[in-house]
Amino acid sequence: MNSYLDLVSLSAGVNRRNSRLTRFCIILAVFLVSSIFGMADMEIRCQKTMAIQEDGAWHAAFRGITREQAELISTRPEVDISAFYAAVNYRLDMDYSIEGKQTVICGFDEDFLKLYPSVKIIEGTFPQAPDEAVVTQSVQKQLGLQIGSNLNLRTPDGDVLTYTVTGYTGDTSMITKWDAFGIFLNREGYLQSFSQETLEKDFEYYVSFHPFCSIQKTLDEICAQLDIPETEVAQNTKLLGLMLQSDNDFILNLYISAAILAILVIVSGILMIANSLNTMVSKRTEFFGMLRCLGASPKQVARFVRLEALFWCRTSVPFGLGLSVILVWILCSILKYVSPGYFSGMPSFSISWTGLIFGAVIGLLTVLLAVRSPAKKASQVSPLTAVSGNAGTIREMKKPAQNRFLKIPAVLGIHHAGSSKKNLFFMSGSYAFTIILFLAFSVSIVFMNRAITPLRPYTPDLSIYSDENQPSVTPEIAAAVKENPAVEKSYGRYYADSVVLRQGNRTRKIHLISYEDIQFHWAEDALLEGDLQAAEEGKGILMDYSASQYLSMGDKITLETANEAASVPVTGVLAYTPFNASSGILICSEDLFVQIAGSQNYTVLDIQLYHNASEQDIEELRALAGDSLSFSDRRADNQEVRGTYFAFALFLYGFLFIIALIAVFNIINSIGMSVSSRMSLFGIMRAVGMTERQLICMIISEASVYIIGGILIGLLVGLPVNYLLFTSMITSHWGDSWSLPVSAVAVILILTSGSLIPAVAGPAKRIREMSVVDTIHEL
Amino acid sequence: MQLVRIENLCKIYGKGETQVNALKHASFTLERGEFAAVVGESGSGKSTLLNCIGGLDLPTSGKVWLSGQDLFAMSEQERTVFRRRNIGFIFQSFQLIPELNVEQNIIFPLLLDYRKPDQKKVDEILDVLGLKERRSHLPCQLSGGQQQRVAIGRALITKPVLVLADEPTGNLDSKSSKDVIELLHQASRRYQQTILMITHNQNLISSVDHVFQVHDGILSDLGGAYV
Repeated sequence: MNSYLDLVSLSAGVNRRNSRLTRFCIILAVFLVSSIFGMADMEIRCQKTMAIQEDGAWHAAFRGITREQAELISTRPEVDISAFYAAVNYRLDMDYSIEGKQTVICGFDEDFLKLYPSVKIIEGTFPQAPDEAVVTQSVQKQLGLQIGSNLNLRTPDGDVLTYTVTGYTGDTSMITKWDAFGIFLNREGYLQSFSQETLEKDFEYYVSFHPFCSIQKTLDEICAQLDIPETEVAQNTKLLGLMLQSDNDFILNLYISAAILAILVIVSGILMIANSLNTMVSKRTEFFGMLRCLGASPKQVARFVRLEALFWCRTSVPFGLGLSVILVWILCSILKYVSPGYFSGMPSFSISWTGLIFGAVIGLLTVLLAVRSPAKKASQVSPLTAVSGNAGTIREMKKPAQNRFLKIPAVLGIHHAGSSKKNLFFMSGSYAFTIILFLAFSVSIVFMNRAITPLRPYTPDLSIYSDENQPSVTPEIAAAVKENPAVEKSYGRYYADSVVLRQGNRTRKIHLISYEDIQFHWAEDALLEGDLQAAEEGKGILMDYSASQYLSMGDKITLETANEAASVPVTGVLAYTPFNASSGILICSEDLFVQIAGSQNYTVLDIQLYHNASEQDIEELRALAGDSLSFSDRRADNQEVRGTYFAFALFLYGFLFIIALIAVFNIINSIGMSVSSRMSLFGIMRAVGMTERQLICMIISEASVYIIGGILIGLLVGLPVNYLLFTSMITSHWGDSWSLPVSAVAVILILTSGSLIPAVAGPAKRIREMSVVDTIHEL
Repeated sequence: MQLVRIENLCKIYGKGETQVNALKHASFTLERGEFAAVVGESGSGKSTLLNCIGGLDLPTSGKVWLSGQDLFAMSEQERTVFRRRNIGFIFQSFQLIPELNVEQNIIFPLLLDYRKPDQKKVDEILDVLGLKERRSHLPCQLSGGQQQRVAIGRALITKPVLVLADEPTGNLDSKSSKDVIELLHQASRRYQQTILMITHNQNLISSVDHVFQVHDGILSDLGGAYV
């Protein structure tokens, strides 16, 4: 033993039980901060991978430059990869087709594949000759092509160009959504056939730079030296932002969000740790007094308390960091599983050094900040407390306990809670803080439900539809689809966009669609006013909320087409429908639609599949659509929407769960510590005849004061915060009016009052096991 | 040679109706190497006197001079350092640090003063205290008398000029009490230390050099060897 501070490590073992809760608080704070920053880091890495996957690894693209300018750019030392690229019919508006299907044609240098990893050649090789092409997988599957097969591309002029297939690439989501084909040629082959048809803006020269060079500066130099207008230089802003090479503040925003969450965790961590340390110091007043008697200066005592807290960090910080690594791994795996589209770039078992560094530094900082007040308190302990022999057992009370209405144990409990206003404030304040956090963050759940539209019950997996909204899906096709064993539900919609609505003397053109039984059933959730039955029976009509600008519930209207007219009342208002039209949409039964419009064909037939539907089933359904109808496969899109929603829900509910956990733990911790500091007093009370039950009643009443105080402060501050956040985040965007967050308040009340049980259970057990004689002898 | 000089020491607790005059104009001196005892009933003001002399408590008025220095003219920090270098305390309840062994408890005040313990001196004290064989024992492995001997060793290790002992035998049986007093005598002779001890035990004051009595805060000098 070389220093008085060595006592810290020696006494750590003895105080291990007392410090257990403090150590848990440190672990929790480090774990949360490290997890928050770890996930932010993983999100950035994921975004970077996704950005490269979606938008490519290029940094800048020059439009309409000459071959000489391109040569000069490619020879610059900062340039890593450069490649020519051009596309025709990219917007599917130029009538290039293969076997009648719209086709996008791209031409590029082989190096372009390095800049666009998504255009990876799955099988085969890059075309070397002008009459060779790589095709998307959909072309291969639907036309049954092999490498070496020939395919014919029909141009808008009616000419046919023949190419030999040298390989396949994956499909992009744009290609599957619009059920289009894509073929890729080399530069020579492309320029030979399509240079005239290509729009100037679709000729591009893609460049990626070496890492660590200043990209913006290099681009400025290139533009100045080669006289290229800045407007002709496109930048991959997302990727550059992720590389901190642009003004895009995505990373900054992400880290600011992480920092705000971390600050909230730090504040609650400081309150919790300070609370438990304060109680520990109170319990050891006599020890600190003795140190002062032996000659320790107040500074030395404070240093001792600080070092003691830091000593606990020695094991708690690595433990918290370890837990955060595991949590980050689990979260990344879950996110990848629930939303493979959105989070496919998420690393699975990667270590986030950013998260670990932030966790460790902020964890230590939290402890150092939390220990300030207990260290000061310990340093102010008078040496007299050691010689007086009754340090900490007899507390100074300013006024006696009043027992007019309650029994004495309850009165004493309430009196204990109120005896130190500072302690009451800290205890209730720390509970209130987590309640405020909970109420503030619960708004983000509403925000998520509004901002990320979850899939509606009517969202289809596949759709067969007519391109120009014509009634072309025949009852035969609908019946054949229904019979397919992979189809769980299929439901068609008649549609007419030139129905005349007559109301008195006023007329206007409206959109009319039909629902059948399943859709009327789903509409129940969207019903704002009225009922569905009349419309279902063809005796009424439904309108969506946007039609309320000119129609009201109960209005009698006449719907006219060239075929016939029908008069019906408006019998229901729906919040949403499968279509959006600013002028509103009216919905009627199929029979009424056929009566008004005359057509027996659907405009769109939506299909929901069983989970085990195979690609062959999809191909069979696609075949039913034939060439005259369009076929849309939305499964990938739906999966991404569902996954994104789940991922955000996981984040937000996870965070709310952690806040709730902090609240519960804080209550258990602080009440346990408060009881520990009064054990001697409880010994005296047991000695003078107080029963265990009465002592527990005393603890319950003391804990109730802290909890009720916390709930009151929490709600008084938290509800206005909830209101402010709701009005700024929700009301301003979606118009929903604020209402008391009953479920959040209920969760708070249940959690806080529920945590009273475990909070009291521990101390109750210790009281039962307490030896009255030993406890009194400690006095 | 005069070591301690107390002048008109007063200590008042509380205000108004609850005011208590714990110490009333106490004045006396102690010589270097003198062994003095303070007797009196419970609540008479003995401990208040000891705490004021030790600089643990601030007197309402009056002065305490130790080795020619006014204790209460110093700042709190200066007084703390002065106390740890010049005054040793012995308590009735021993106040040992339970997680430190005998030797560590004894050298602890040196460590607080950032001094390196001299192993020879430590061995010598352990020898005098009869604790050489138990140097590695924890306080809980010792008897009450042995624990108080450790506390004496801890009070002596910094070689203080004044040792203040508050009922050092209060928790001990008669044999252990005798041993402790004998040790204190040895210390005062060997290291020329002044010892001021509070005691209730009339048997113990027979061997001291000087006895003071405190009654209702008033200090009376009962002179030398009192029987």
